[in-house]
Amino acid sequence: MAPLLDLRNLPDADLVALAQEGREAAYRELVRRYERPVFSLIFRMVRDREVAEDLAQDTFIKVLNHIDKYRPEFKLSSWLFKIANNVAIDHLRKRQLDTVSIDGSPHAMSAAEQEATSFDVVARQESALEEMEAKELGSAIERAIKKLRPEYRACIMLRHVEGRSYEEIAATLDLPLGTVKTYIHRARHQLRDALEGLRE
Amino acid sequence: MDHRHLLPEEIDLLLDGEEGFGVNPLKAHLAQCAGCRAEYEAQREVALALEGLPHIAPSFRFADKVMANVQVFEPWHVSLRDSIRRALPTTQVGRTLVFGTGGVMAVSMTLLTVWLAHRADAVLFLGALVGQRLREFVAGGVHDAVVATVGQGAATTVSSNGLVGVGIALSALAVAILGTAFGLKTLASAARSRRG
Repeated sequence: MAPLLDLRNLPDADLVALAQEGREAAYRELVRRYERPVFSLIFRMVRDREVAEDLAQDTFIKVLNHIDKYRPEFKLSSWLFKIANNVAIDHLRKRQLDTVSIDGSPHAMSAAEQEATSFDVVARQESALEEMEAKELGSAIERAIKKLRPEYRACIMLRHVEGRSYEEIAATLDLPLGTVKTYIHRARHQLRDALEGLRE
Repeated sequence: MDHRHLLPEEIDLLLDGEEGFGVNPLKAHLAQCAGCRAEYEAQREVALALEGLPHIAPSFRFADKVMANVQVFEPWHVSLRDSIRRALPTTQVGRTLVFGTGGVMAVSMTLLTVWLAHRADAVLFLGALVGQRLREFVAGGVHDAVVATVGQGAATTVSSNGLVGVGIALSALAVAILGTAFGLKTLASAARSRRG
């Protein structure tokens, strides 16, 4: 078996081949290699450290438990980002469905009814985790990213943070090439506007 | 190109660092037009800010948490290969000895097979001889068993009557066994009905 030091220099395809032979060290190296990019993408999508960690774990578990089905003509990183984006989008959709307005039911017919269905949120002290999140996602550009649609976020992250080509992003996110170009173009414009707004 | 400002997709081409003869006029326009240059710079600032974003690390135990839920499966051929590797000596001398002995055995077996193939008549004769000896041994054993069970006289009668004799004897034995079984069953059911 290849020693751990050698694994760091191996290309993804060779590492996957070793993982398919049941080498645990190869699995661990794959996690080590991609944990930051995958976690960063998900974290910037869902903007909650704990949830992002769970979703990133799900991503790796899904990929590694099906490593025997990996097709070498597809980049491993693209496969990982595809799953990561899907789990993040699924989570955001689910969270949107679960959201309850604190201002009361939107179907309330009178002020009294609205008051009856509303509830108070107890002011919380900022936890250490939230403090860390604020530090990590608190820069102007991160706050501007927060305002983007999730689809735009994924595209712009893959393009500018991961340095992927338009074609790779299209393949990763299962989107037409033209749509990817449009999303990135719009995302850049929205980010520019948001950054100007923040500066003002 | 000078008569109009750059289109948004043309600015995107420049931002994406596209090269080619179609991009040169765009660059030339950018050098002359302050408006387009300002638009390009604003977009470039966003792109640079994005590219400067760091990767964020998950918690320290992330890999362990993932691996706790991953089933590492080793295919049988890999296990076999590893077992063979483990069984082989680790030293160069030991490996040379093992492979040398294996090689000598393989060559010897091959030579023996080739020799036997060339001497097919001898092999056939030897095969027939072994077969005959085996048949005699089995027949002798069966005869001894029959003599021990039914006595010399009955065995001689059966063997003198040939296959028909054997058939009759076996039929008589079967009838005797069935008759005994039927009798025992009748006795048992009669005893049960008397107790009831």
